[in-house]
Amino acid sequence: MSRPSFAGSTAIIGIGQTEFSKDAARSELQLACESITAALADAGLQPSDVDGLVSYTIDPVEETELVRSVGFPQINYSSRVPYGGGGAMGVLLHAASAVASGAAEVVVAYRAIRARSGATRFGGAKTTPSPTSGHSGTTAMQWCMPFGVLTPAAWMALNSTRYMHTFGVSSEDFGRAVVQLRAYASTNPAAWGFDRPITLDDHQASRWIAQPCIRMFDCCQETDGSVAVVVASGELARDTAQPPVLIAAAGGAGLFEQEIASDHYRPDLSVMEGSVALAKLLFGRFGIDRGDIDAAMIYDAFSPILLMQLEGLGFCERGEAKHFIADGNLGLDGALPCNTNGGLIGEGYIHGLNLVLEAVRQLRGTAVNQVVDPDAVLVSASRTGAILTRP
Amino acid sequence: MCPHCGTLAWGAVDLSGRGTVYSFAVLHHPQNPQFDYPVIAALVELDEGIRLVTNLVELLPDEVEIGLPVEVCFEPTADGMAVPVFRPRVLERRQ
Ligand SMILES: [Zn+2]
Repeated sequence: MSRPSFAGSTAIIGIGQTEFSKDAARSELQLACESITAALADAGLQPSDVDGLVSYTIDPVEETELVRSVGFPQINYSSRVPYGGGGAMGVLLHAASAVASGAAEVVVAYRAIRARSGATRFGGAKTTPSPTSGHSGTTAMQWCMPFGVLTPAAWMALNSTRYMHTFGVSSEDFGRAVVQLRAYASTNPAAWGFDRPITLDDHQASRWIAQPCIRMFDCCQETDGSVAVVVASGELARDTAQPPVLIAAAGGAGLFEQEIASDHYRPDLSVMEGSVALAKLLFGRFGIDRGDIDAAMIYDAFSPILLMQLEGLGFCERGEAKHFIADGNLGLDGALPCNTNGGLIGEGYIHGLNLVLEAVRQLRGTAVNQVVDPDAVLVSASRTGAILTRP
Repeated sequence: MCPHCGTLAWGAVDLSGRGTVYSFAVLHHPQNPQFDYPVIAALVELDEGIRLVTNLVELLPDEVEIGLPVEVCFEPTADGMAVPVFRPRVLERRQ
C-alpha cells in the first residue's frame, strides 16, 4: 500500500488546554470552549478559520452546542472516533485525512471530560452506556458485569496478570515505570502530580485495586479538563504563529475479536496485538525507521499497558520492558524518553489526547522536561497512533 | 452472523464445564454493593477452546493460580437467573 497523502503534508498548528483538576466546577461544553479558544489563540487563528471538528464517540460535547458557543460560522467536516481511549490518536488520522483530501482546511480535534466530578468517575463501576453513543464499542463489557468486573482497572487487570505470568513481571517492575512518570510530573506545573514525586516504596505501599497487578499508584488520574489541537495543511502552517509540527504518520488498527478495555478474547493476552499491528502500520506503510523516534508518548491508563505497548511497538523485545525501564531508558537521558509530561498517571487523564500536546511541545522545544532537539515523537494509544516530526 | 462461515443459523452446544484458569485478578476497589469483596475475577479457558470472564469460588484469593483446573457451578443472581462460575476440580481439591 502506498503512503497516505496526509503524511508530511499536514501539521498541528495550535494546542490548548484548561487546567487539570479533580473538580472543574463547570460543564464539559465550557471546558471544550476554553481549550479550543486557547488552541486557536496559540495558532493565531479565529473561529471563522475553522471548518472541521473531530472528537471521540464518547465525548459528551455535542457539535451543535460547540458551534453555537465558540461561534464557528460554518463546519464542513465533522467526525468522531470509536474505541474509547484506544482511539485517542485516531482524531489526528481523521483531521489529517480531512485536510489532505480537501474536505476541510482547518480542523479542531478536542476532548472534554469530567472523569472525577462528572456523573461517571473514570475508575468507578460502569453500569450504563456512555452519553453520546449507544455502546461506544462496549458490547463485550456485558459479559464482565455479572461477575463484578465493572471498571477499566478490573478489565485490564485480567490481561495484565497474564502478562506478568508469561514474562515473570512483578509489581515492582510496574512501580519503576510509575516512579519515572511521577518524577516527570513533579516538575510539570500543569500536572496533578506537580511537586509530588514518589519512591518505589511509596508505590509498593499503595493499596491494591486489582491484585497482583494494579495498585492505586498504577492508575491514571481521574481528571476534569479539556484539550484541543488544531490541524491544517503544512502549507498553511508556515504562515501561523507557532513552529509547525508535521503529522508524518497516523493510523489505527482494529483486529478480529479485539475489544476495547475488556479485550479478553485474542489468542495471547500477554502481547498487546493492537500495538504490534499499529507499529507495522506506522513504521511500515509510512516508511519511518523506529530508530529515528526520539521520544514517545504512550497511553498509560494503567502502568502495565505502558510496558505492553513498549514491547508491542517494538521498542524492546517481548518481556524485556521491565529491564528497559529499570535501565532508565524512559528518562531524559535514556533511549526513549517517555511521557515527559508525567503521562496520564502523573499529569492527568484527558483520555489520552493530552499526550499529543506534550509531543507537540517537545517538537517545539517548549516542554518542561525537554528532550534535546527531538526530530520525531511517537504518540500511541494501543490501537491508534501517530508520528509527529519537525519540518 | 458467523464470521467463519457466514451462516445466520444458530444452535445450542453442550459444554463439558471443565477448563483451566487463563488469568485472574483479585478485585479490592471500588466496591459495588451487589458483590462480596474481594471478588476473584478470572478468565477461564474451557476445554472446548472458549474463553470467558467469570468468578472463582470455593477457594481463597491466595490459592488462585494460572493453569488451575476448574469446573463449572452455577450461582443464582438477584433477578432469579444464574451465572456460570468455577471452582477447583474435585480431584484436585482432594489432594
Ligand atoms: Zn460458522
